[in-house]
Amino acid sequence: MSNYLKLSLLGAAVLAASTTLAQPPAREEGPRTPAPRLADGTVDLNGHGIWELPYITDFATRMVGAQKGDQPPMLPWSKALWEYNRSNDVKYDPEGFCLPPGGPRSMGTPYPAEFVQQEDRILIIFEGGGHVWREIHMDGREHPEDVNPTYFGHSVGRWEGDTLVIDTVGYNEKTWIDFNGHVHSDQMHTIERITRPFKEVLHYEATIEDPGAYSAPWTVAWDIEWTDGAELQDYICQENNIWLVELKDDLGHPFFEKMEAP
Amino acid sequence: MKTTLAALATLTAGLLFSAQTSAHHSFAAEFDADKKLDIAGVVTKVEWTNPHTYFWIEVEGKEGVDVWGFEMGSPNGLMRRGWTKDTLAIGTEVIVRGTQARDGSTRGNAQAVILADTCTRLFAGTSQRDFVEDESAKVEGCTPKQ
Repeated sequence: MSNYLKLSLLGAAVLAASTTLAQPPAREEGPRTPAPRLADGTVDLNGHGIWELPYITDFATRMVGAQKGDQPPMLPWSKALWEYNRSNDVKYDPEGFCLPPGGPRSMGTPYPAEFVQQEDRILIIFEGGGHVWREIHMDGREHPEDVNPTYFGHSVGRWEGDTLVIDTVGYNEKTWIDFNGHVHSDQMHTIERITRPFKEVLHYEATIEDPGAYSAPWTVAWDIEWTDGAELQDYICQENNIWLVELKDDLGHPFFEKMEAP
Repeated sequence: MKTTLAALATLTAGLLFSAQTSAHHSFAAEFDADKKLDIAGVVTKVEWTNPHTYFWIEVEGKEGVDVWGFEMGSPNGLMRRGWTKDTLAIGTEVIVRGTQARDGSTRGNAQAVILADTCTRLFAGTSQRDFVEDESAKVEGCTPKQ
């Protein structure tokens, strides 16, 4: 077992240095305890603690291989919509409506998250984003042929060495890519790669492939810090969302007009 | 009570590095970062709710008492900063630092709440993106009343 562990650790180190990860973990200070493992040797993505998701407000700043000021390869319509969203201080951000963050944004939205790792599926539960969860099927199934679009889409996962690869399709168009107002279409397909190079760090990477809104795939990456022993708390966004009640449209009218029942 | 406040101060200081700002909606659409506020008053009402906690204070103005309302972060974020639902009791004297609503009304976004009795500074989980928290939980120049 100890040999296996050593091999696994070596494997993790090699993997971390290989091109599979477009951006190696930035963390160079602080403890670097070997990642915990389950009885079968699989990397344990959680344990007793929580992942302190960073708040990535602008995915353009986290694009792998990009220079400062670069933008994802938007199509004319998605660029126009992004510019419009910025022009009104992103006041129509769906997350401000207490709607879920959708795919990759869920890993860069405030409040921590936790992985629940089972043999046939992995759940990621989020304190924030409206207190939501994602379900990743790990039982070898494929995406359905005709997916009903949803906020988190249909996710299937597999392990490539110590990297969890999550493939997701079937997103609806009701979320934004980020707080900054980047949008996507329902053709979005995401491939997320998650590693735990040490116990204290999760490295997250997502490739966004969306021919409906972008001319080429683009990849974002960031690290997520672990807090040992901490727990998730309650956060029920829709409780008292005064923001929504007071929100005005572009003409100054209440965003939600009182409607008669049909 | 003193022990609790000391613990609060320690907690607040200890959490500075991991503190996240609240994120629910666009700060810029509602508040003006250039309209800075520094107001002393007495707490009259508290709403410990999601996605934002609110409180109201009465402020002695030139023409009588003004009522100011302030938005803070959500309870989960505030609790990680050392707040409890009882931190702001009705009648508590506070100094609020923050920014005013764009519409010029007596509403604001709180960045920090200073408890006048102990000079303890509590960070309020503002959604203002460029707000940088002061590193000290104690307020210079403030004299504790106790």
